[in-house]
Amino acid sequence: MIIKKRLVTGAAGLLAALACGLILPPTATADEPSRPSPKVELVLDVSGSMRARDVDGASRMSAAKQAFNEVLDATPEEVRLGIRTLGATYPGKDRKVGCQDSKQLYPVGHVDRTEAKAAVATLRPTGWTPIGLALRGASKDLAGDDATRRIVLITDGEDSCGRPDPCDVARELAADGTHLVVDTLGLTPDRKVREQLSCIAEATGGTYTAVQHTDELSSRIKQLVRRTAETPVQTPTGVQGAAQCAKAPELGTGLYNDRERFGEHRWYRMKVAPGKELRASVSVAADRAVDPDYGVLLRAVTPGGRELVRGSEAGSGRTDVISTGLRYPVADADDDEDTTPRTVCLELSQSFSAPAGVKRTPGLPVELAVDVVDNDEPPADVAAFGLGRGWVLLGVLAVTGLVAGLVWGWVARWRITVWRSN
Amino acid sequence: MRALRKAGAALALCAAALFTAAAPAVADGNDGKDAQNGKDGLTEAGTNFRTATALEQGEKATATASTGDYLYWAVPVAAGQVPTVEAKVKLPDASARHGGATWQLDVYDGLRRHQPCASGSPTHHADQQDTSVSLSCTVRQVRSWSERWANDPLPGAYYLRLTVVDLPEQDLGLPIDAEVTTTARDAGGKHADGGELAEPLNPSLRAGTIAEPDSEPPSDADSGSGSDSGDADEDSPRAVAEPEDGWGSGWWSDRWVWTAGGGALGALAAVGGYTLTRGPRSSGTGSGRPPADG
Repeated sequence: MIIKKRLVTGAAGLLAALACGLILPPTATADEPSRPSPKVELVLDVSGSMRARDVDGASRMSAAKQAFNEVLDATPEEVRLGIRTLGATYPGKDRKVGCQDSKQLYPVGHVDRTEAKAAVATLRPTGWTPIGLALRGASKDLAGDDATRRIVLITDGEDSCGRPDPCDVARELAADGTHLVVDTLGLTPDRKVREQLSCIAEATGGTYTAVQHTDELSSRIKQLVRRTAETPVQTPTGVQGAAQCAKAPELGTGLYNDRERFGEHRWYRMKVAPGKELRASVSVAADRAVDPDYGVLLRAVTPGGRELVRGSEAGSGRTDVISTGLRYPVADADDDEDTTPRTVCLELSQSFSAPAGVKRTPGLPVELAVDVVDNDEPPADVAAFGLGRGWVLLGVLAVTGLVAGLVWGWVARWRITVWRSN
Repeated sequence: MRALRKAGAALALCAAALFTAAAPAVADGNDGKDAQNGKDGLTEAGTNFRTATALEQGEKATATASTGDYLYWAVPVAAGQVPTVEAKVKLPDASARHGGATWQLDVYDGLRRHQPCASGSPTHHADQQDTSVSLSCTVRQVRSWSERWANDPLPGAYYLRLTVVDLPEQDLGLPIDAEVTTTARDAGGKHADGGELAEPLNPSLRAGTIAEPDSEPPSDADSGSGSDSGDADEDSPRAVAEPEDGWGSGWWSDRWVWTAGGGALGALAAVGGYTLTRGPRSSGTGSGRPPADG
């Protein structure tokens, strides 16, 4: 009897738990239907030069190890983290072998702190600095689901292998449509290192930091890992604009990204119903060395080629992006039944140019934000509710009142006189 | 019976769990920025328009960054307000720097259009011995409505971008501390304008969808892409949260007082004018008449 009762209780509890389980997941993920946890890979230079003792009196390697330990302790639960090394195994002089030396030390996944720390502790400064190769490897390690991806590259020297050029590799990886960001940290205040690392960061929309102290190193890596966790998971959808409106891809609402080469025009299409307003913003990023003067032009055009409205912006000097936007309300149709959406073409062009010697492909990264909202009526009056304000208004009203009163009074008097005389 | 009660308790627990789980999900809808919103205010900055950290008016946001980073924040501004952005950058040690640098604060509206600063000093050159640099930018008054060809500031999200625009190449990557606050004053009834934007310029942070090239055009009921933006967009994360008092300047302005006062004054003047015309006559025929003798 008791057993039976227990069974019933258990079954009921199980049912409740099941119901609970059935209800919970949709609420937890209601906003983001599939939310893969963000991924980050730390790429650490373990080349021979890391032996140099110039970070707070300790060697660069021990500073990096200490920072890694702190970072591993502070890694948020939701982040999947991996570690890759470069130049960790081959101590020899053969360039060909040394430049293939990059391996995954700890696979990308939810971190087991003790295991990861033990792996880091085994590292000894050894070989060459194949940064380009390591970046490609890291990108492969991070491949897979649609999570946000970040590579944090910590190095003390420029690429000692030359080929592939790490900066070109970074740009290629960013253009792959994997939304990969590379943040770089340099351990030496050397001009070549700085140029190379800031070039890698610029190419992927990442940041470059010059590190002088151990605490700076660990706090910066922690910040970057945290940033990975906080970055909005919704990454823009890749799209390829066409050379003319007729062949242009049709966009819905939301965020898109594309690449546009120097001097190229790209077309997109939108369907906007009457009574709705199209809002489009675009930003073109300068992901490589560009000439100091630049501009961007976004035009909304009818399929027939008539310009409806345009947004443009020009600038000069150091910048990450140049952006502009436009609004185009489609008026309500005269006939209420007519709800056929109108086609609006968007033409994007930019006037970036690059000095000779700068790679032309892939094109510059473009981000489009498109929204369609309700249309608004033009106001009946420029002032709020057509109300008036000011001393002139008061004067006019007072004088008008006075004149009206006088006239009314005289009329009344005259009428009485006339009435009396009759 | 007990079994049922237990199941009920489990369900209640489940409901509680559901609510607690739902709460952070809602916060996530607000950009998931609340996590960073500790006691010291926001301590992070975004690195582009899409990842800009949302802050509120009057809130102080700080960020540790490297020289050369582009720092982005987003702040909501309602119609009728005149926003002022102030930024302060604590520069690296003078000994580590190799010369002066020029810092700049840019303001963009929700359509990513650059908004000029009507006053303030958005660009400032810091000499090598300076320890910090202060920047400020006051944007024009935010209108409630504007024509589509105009670049007028409109209610919605405003992006702040802080960066160094000119520096000695050696100084790239050195650590800095940045701090921004946005305040807004009310432009007052003098500038209360008519019209209203149907939706503020508050960009959606949702990934886009691409229509199949050969697909059927959407039916009338869907009315094109408009349908995507309809109710679905209400839930999609936006760049900033709506301010407490809403996006509009509201119906009230001191124009009501002026107009009503003007009306009253006019009425008084009319009565006065009327009395003036009656005045001499009434004094001639009424009480003003000399009393009859005897």
